[in-house]
Amino acid sequence: MSVLGILTSANLNGGQKLATKYFTVAIALFGAQVLFGLLAGIQYLNPDFLYGILDFSVNRMLHINAMVVWLLFGFIGSVYWLLEDESGAPVVGLGLGNLIFWVFTLAVVVVVLVFLLVQVGPGELKSIWLINEGREYIEAPRWADIGIVVCVLAFFFNVAATFAKGKFTGIGGVLVLDLIALAGLYLAGMWYTPNISMDQHWWWWVIHLWVEATWEVLVGCLMAYGLITTMGVRRRIVETWLYIEVALMFGSGILGLGHHYFWIGTPEYWFTIGGFFSALEPIPLVAMVVHAVFDAGHHKLKSTNHPALAWIIAQAFGNFFGAGVWGFMHTLPQINLYTHGTQWTASHGHLAFFGAYATMVIAFLYIALQKWRGGVYMSSNLAGAWKWKWAIFLLHAGLIAMVMGMLIAGYEQSQIERAIGGSDWVAYFAAQSHRWFMQGMFWRQIGGWVFASGFVLLAWDLMTIGKRETRPAVQNETAEAAA
Amino acid sequence: MIEPVALANFFTVFFSAAMVIMTGATYALLFAYSRVKGMPRMMLLAYLAYLGLFASVMTLADAANLFHNTFWTVIVGLMLLGYLVAPHAIWKLCVGTHALEPEDDKAHPVKIYQQS
Repeated sequence: MSVLGILTSANLNGGQKLATKYFTVAIALFGAQVLFGLLAGIQYLNPDFLYGILDFSVNRMLHINAMVVWLLFGFIGSVYWLLEDESGAPVVGLGLGNLIFWVFTLAVVVVVLVFLLVQVGPGELKSIWLINEGREYIEAPRWADIGIVVCVLAFFFNVAATFAKGKFTGIGGVLVLDLIALAGLYLAGMWYTPNISMDQHWWWWVIHLWVEATWEVLVGCLMAYGLITTMGVRRRIVETWLYIEVALMFGSGILGLGHHYFWIGTPEYWFTIGGFFSALEPIPLVAMVVHAVFDAGHHKLKSTNHPALAWIIAQAFGNFFGAGVWGFMHTLPQINLYTHGTQWTASHGHLAFFGAYATMVIAFLYIALQKWRGGVYMSSNLAGAWKWKWAIFLLHAGLIAMVMGMLIAGYEQSQIERAIGGSDWVAYFAAQSHRWFMQGMFWRQIGGWVFASGFVLLAWDLMTIGKRETRPAVQNETAEAAA
Repeated sequence: MIEPVALANFFTVFFSAAMVIMTGATYALLFAYSRVKGMPRMMLLAYLAYLGLFASVMTLADAANLFHNTFWTVIVGLMLLGYLVAPHAIWKLCVGTHALEPEDDKAHPVKIYQQS
């Protein structure tokens, strides 16, 4: 019998105990992402800040890598969380899973320390192996690259073997296939070639296909499980829609890769492929809108986990605006010629990553905490509910301020630097010092501070939510329904 | 193959592209809401939103020089057709996937919390 409101691992199965470790590291890395983002933002306004100690290039690298890794930790934790529930069997090779967690975490710590303390090395292979591989967003040195693949393979073994031993649900089947792609595509970022066009060609396989294919599908699986557990939506329906949305996402997302091939020296036919499939990419979002309204009409929106439900709803909106609206605004090559790589891209990236992925991981943290505290009540009139509500508000208000600041700066860059100045160095600096750009960066920084305060509140809430609650989730919701 | 957007048309392109997605979602939302609630008048609003989508696509196509090339003109046509029929197709899928579900939810109370 679990004790309500007490955070104890006795409430959890083996996979879920492991998941909580991943979640803890994920939140710490989320904090690191926010911290290095703030520092990099300050450096836009005051370029001398920490110059020679912690340069902008290092801050930016840590900011982005922390995001990639915290989301990965969050995803992996979420999968371990649902694994035994879904498969009906204990995690196969749980000891290996635990070992891999510590190896992975230690590797992340070492890589961060090297990025902070060593930073750069001579232009030789030794630097690629030990310091920095040099590819934007996936800068981890080669030894860590190989380590990541080993860790993901061990994780894949845990997941696939557990489903094989228990039962393969629809969610489980999609998940296992997706993990093969997740591990396999990472290898594409490990080729070495002196041809920069070829290098970029493969590099985008990791960046785009991870994000717009395998991560989207992974989030689809997590969303499916989340809807079953928080709202009681029927499995058969959720899984059917998982198949439909996976087909739509893969159908448009895989060759949507083409919109990254416009300007890297690949053949011209990528204009047509990238343009066509990028135009298709909003269709899964339209499908989601129709299905959400259909479901809302058939099921009353009841949930015993209001914070998780709120974050799931935030995911739907964030994905729509971040990936859909902000993406399509500048995806056609006729305009992308001017916006590619400006703050416009950063604006899209911030809104899409937070909206589509961070929200889902945070929703899972609340799902996990509910059970971790013994299946405690987490609905309306929950004590201290202001914390999660203010956290969600501050995080989104800060995000929107950042996104709008970068949008204005990106608009200015695309005009002054690209269209008028012709993208040379003089034009680059003219755009960077323009008052529209600086004002955009100033408001981006204000938004960053608001976002950071939201993160602090979120972390506090995650540590305390349901602490003094003594009502169980099921009984109270049943009573509400009866009333 | 592509004719870059003129500087004067930047804002038009960004705004109309955003409106393509916004009006597309509004059309889908109103379409589904009209069907769920059985309100045929709402469907008129849905098609009004589609008209907004049509206008946005045409504005985008004009500002982004898409009509200067056959391929991009075809893309414009496909976008308009795709947005028009997608909610219909998705609706049919919704009805199909929910076909065996009883109308009355009280007969199948919501399974709230998965206690393993």
